[in-house]
This record gives sequence, C-alpha cells and structure tokens, in this order.
Amino acid sequence: MLVRDAFKTATRSLTHGKMRSILTMLGIVIGIASVIILMSIGQSAQNLILGQVQSVGSNLIIIAPGAPSGSGFSPPASSQGIVITSLKQADADSLSREPSIHAVASLVSGQAEVVQGNTNKTVSYQGVSADMFSVRNLTLSKGYPFTKGDVDSANHVAIIGPDLATKLFGSYVDPLNKTIRLKNISFRIVGVLSKGGTGMGGVDQGNIVIVPITVAQKQLLGVNHFSTILVEADAQYDINFVKSRITFSLRQNHGISDPTKDDFSIMTQADLLSIVGNITSILTLFLAAIASISLVVGGIGIMNIMLVSVTERTREIGLRKAVGATDTDILQQFLIESVLLTFAGGLIGIMFGALVVGAVYFGITIFNPELGWTFAFPLSAVILGLTVSGIAGIVFGIYPARQAGRKNPIDALRYE
Amino acid sequence: MIEIHDLQKEYIEEETPTRALRGVTLSINKGEFVSIMGPSGSGKSTLLQILSFLDRPTGGSYTFQGKRIDDMNDQELAHVRNTDMGFIFQSFNLLSRLTVYDNVEIPLLYSDILPAKRRTLVEEAVRSVGLADKLHTEAGKLSGGQKQRVAIARALVTEPNVIFADEPTGNLDSVSGLQIMEILESLHDRGRTIILVTHETQTAEFANRIIRMKDGSIESDTPITANRVRHGSLK
Repeated sequence: MLVRDAFKTATRSLTHGKMRSILTMLGIVIGIASVIILMSIGQSAQNLILGQVQSVGSNLIIIAPGAPSGSGFSPPASSQGIVITSLKQADADSLSREPSIHAVASLVSGQAEVVQGNTNKTVSYQGVSADMFSVRNLTLSKGYPFTKGDVDSANHVAIIGPDLATKLFGSYVDPLNKTIRLKNISFRIVGVLSKGGTGMGGVDQGNIVIVPITVAQKQLLGVNHFSTILVEADAQYDINFVKSRITFSLRQNHGISDPTKDDFSIMTQADLLSIVGNITSILTLFLAAIASISLVVGGIGIMNIMLVSVTERTREIGLRKAVGATDTDILQQFLIESVLLTFAGGLIGIMFGALVVGAVYFGITIFNPELGWTFAFPLSAVILGLTVSGIAGIVFGIYPARQAGRKNPIDALRYE
Repeated sequence: MIEIHDLQKEYIEEETPTRALRGVTLSINKGEFVSIMGPSGSGKSTLLQILSFLDRPTGGSYTFQGKRIDDMNDQELAHVRNTDMGFIFQSFNLLSRLTVYDNVEIPLLYSDILPAKRRTLVEEAVRSVGLADKLHTEAGKLSGGQKQRVAIARALVTEPNVIFADEPTGNLDSVSGLQIMEILESLHDRGRTIILVTHETQTAEFANRIIRMKDGSIESDTPITANRVRHGSLK
C-alpha cells in the first residue's frame, strides 16, 4: 500500500468520527501544552534570573566566608545559614590596596522589626560600606546614598526600599528625613531605592533597609565580621588574575599555606551564572518531567481508544485482508491513525501553549512591568513537543496496531 | 487451475478436535462455474475459505495455478488473493461510511496499480454492474441489491481469474438475487471462473457443475448440461 493511500485512509477514518478524535487528542493536547508552558516559563524565569546576575557587572567578584564546596556546584556553607566569621575589616583593607582592584564593599545582614509610628514590619536589613552603592550600581529614586563619613562616624542614617516606603508612609508622604526604629535604634531616612531588582542573597530590594555597616556590626548585630565582601575588579585586568590576587591576599591574611584549607570562597559573575543556570535548568527539566506525566496519561487514552477502534472495525480489517492487505498494511494503517492523532494533538498543544505563554507575558508585563519578564518560546520546546507527540503515537499505537494486523481474516469477517 | 488432493482441515475447539474436511479431492478448470452445496456443517464454507487462500489446510495438497499453497507465505497468499481472486460475501462487507467509488477501490490500494489507472478501473467495474450513477453515493445509503452489486464491482476491479461467492443471494429478495446471479452468469460467459457456495438449489443451478458436500466429504460432483430456469423466482 502506498504511504499516500495509507495517510488518506487514516485521515478518512479519523475525520469520520470527529468528536471522538478530538476527545482522544485532548490528553495529548494538555500534556504537550503543559510541557511547552513549563519549558517556556522556565526559560523566561531563567532569563530573568540570569539577567539580574549579569546586571551586577562582569567585573564583580563576590567573596563569602567558608570553604568552597568540593563539587564547585553547591554554594558555600555561609550561604546555607551557617555563621562563619573568617572575613574581617583587615581583609577589606588589604584588598583595597591591590592595584588590580577598583573598589571593595563589605556587607552584613540580618532581620529585625522596623517601626514607624504605629506601623511595624519585619524586614531584612543590610549594613554596607559606602562603596556598595557604586559597586552594586544601586540607584535611588529619592535622596542620596550615605557617605564614607556616615559609615566611619556610625551615623544613624538609612536607605529604604520603595515598597517599604509605601507601607510605612503611604503613597503621599515623603519619607526623606523621617525617622524609623530598628531594634529600638532611630534611623533618619536619607534615601529611597529605585524600584525593581533583587539584592544580594536573593533579598527583595523593595522591602529592605540599608544602614552603615559600622552601625549594623556594632549596634544591631554585635559582630566584627562580614557576611560578604564585594570586589569590583579594575577593568584593565583579567578577572581570573584579580581572583588569584584576592586568593593570595586572603591566604596571607589568614595564614593559610594549604589551598585545601581555604576559609573563604570566591565567585565571579561567570561562576554565579553557571550555578544559577544549572539550578534553573534542572528546575525547568523537573517541572517538564512532572508535566510529561499528563502526556503519558494522554497516550494511554489514545491506546485505549485505538483498541476500541480496532475491535469496532474488526470486519473492516477482515475485508481488507481478504482482498489482499497484509498484516503490515493493516498495522501501518492503524499506526498512522495513532500518529496522526497524537501529532495533531501535539500541534494543537503547541499552539495552546504559545497562547498561554503569551498571556502570561502580557499579564506580567501589564501588572509588573519593572520585573523585566521576557517572552520565551524556545524552538527546542516546539521540536520536543512535535517529536514527543509523534513518538507517543508510535509507542501507544503500536500495540493496538499489532492487534489489528494479527487478526485472522476469517474470524474477523465473522465478527458480529 | 485448481487441484486439491486429499484435503483435510481439523479444528481444535475447547480441546476437542473437529474434522471439517475429510480428504476432499477435486479439480476445477479455468472458466468453470461451480456451485458447492450442502447442509450446515457439511464443510462447504471451510472448503471455500481454503480454496480462496483465507485459510490453510491441515492435510493434503492444494495447487492454485501451478503453485502449492504450502510453498507460499502469508504475504504471498495475500498477493494472490489481491491479484487473482475476487470475493463476494453474503453480508456484502461494504464500508458503509465510504462512497461506492472508495469501496470498489479498496483492493486496488493493496495492488501495484498506479493511482491514475485506478480511477478508470473503478469506473469501469461500477459501470459493469449498472451503478455508474451511484459512484459517489455512500454505500450505507444503497439498497441490499445495490450493495451486492457494489461488492461484485469490488470483486471485479482487479480483473481476477476466479471469483469466490459465499451465499451471495442469502441476504437479498428474489428479484435482487436473480439480478446478482445474472451478473455472475454474464461474468462466467466472459470467461471468469466462478466458485459459489449456496444452500439454495435454484441459485446453485446457475452453475455448470454442482458439488454436494456432507460431513466434510464430497457426496456428489455433477455436471449440469440442461438449460436452467432463469426467469423465475430464486426462492
């Protein structure tokens, strides 16, 4: 039988029972659409996160206390909530003297209740050195960043996130020069951050309070170490060279001669991108794997209906075999029907998925334009969708098709 | 054309062997019109199924146009069924949702004939049974007699040497039955070999040879030389 005739025969059978074909396809449509939607949204989320990591600048180096992980994949212990006190002011000072380093900014962080009048709110706060604003490209919508003088004098000044400003003062009151209390210490607000973005360690910048590091260390936390040091490398130097200079300097400061005993870890933007990229890719794949369960359910639905169809059309199979069809001709006919069903389901699923991904994009763009959500509809998802739907047709269609092909023509012709 | 010798067919039903054919020997020449008659369970349908390559014997030999059935695999049997044999069934076995054209075209789908030539063959076959005006009518909308004529067109379309007809008038009224038998007779007149299974004597008498079967064996094999009564009712 010519392939063209096989397709014609299969199409005719499927269009004869349109409603049944549509309902049979539905499982595959939902399965493929789920995979497409999760892959596309996962890709958009990955783009967003990677974009934020990239926005910190390619010459930014992050130093965290604690040994780097052996695998080079998981973050150092300090970022998993373990307090390590190995980074001190002396380290920041010695790094500042390195000619290949343009700026050094240090940071400590904690959580506390912020009080303004009768309003209180639990927030994350950060104590930062004055250089942090330029190193992190932090921009303010109101006021000015505190200065090195404010840090050195441990002045009680604060910069707050835009969402927190609205929560504490409402939309119509200017928060500048107003006072808030953090752990019973009064701070004068000198600036409000611009909208959007995520701060160091994934902290929501909209609700943050930033104070001079000296105040945070001595008065809020009672510590003398840093949780992070950020280094801005001089653009003239290779980033890996700067990384090696930092390693050398810190080992000297900490008296470390054995590289396996490092009590700090250094990450460049490339390291961060790689880690974040890996995590988001695994997450996307994991979600797609969950979505593919619905694809399997859809495939079983196809198999079920194909088996019913084979039984209903037993006499037709008998007739076709009597007039010359071979087992392979019959198997081919039913397999093509199954693949056409799943392939059409896959196409509809991809289109439906594209619509949902588009709707999510427009929804986010309208309601939260600052987020910087991008429309991602990877070609790989389309190819995967079509391939998987085609394979599903073969996998779930082969058993019913074989059953059809094996039918004895005499028994099939006698079937009532 | 057809040579069978000591043909046996044994079925095993619920662990009990049943002998449907017990050593049948016969030969049918090209151009013969043979009726096979007999009561239910006599083995006439089993014989037709084996003669038409739909089933294999469990013993004896069968040679069709010089080829032994034992030497052919299932694919070769299917090819012979497609090119050299035509089938007419009691219950028509048409695909009711398809048009007359599409039903008649089915055997050609499994042949080597190119699509361009198929149209001519289908139209010719449908015209020969007097249904040219119904070419694009759904088979399900036809009367019983018309359906059987479509089935005959389907059997003719590959221009086979032999036509096997299993109770072709069994589901028809007497007028339609007579029309069908006249078509078969005219096919025979044009040189086709026709092998017919029936339990109706008047239908069987359209043939020039009647084989009567009983309990899986041939009871009698009689040539008919006298003119048949053709214009009366078949039932």
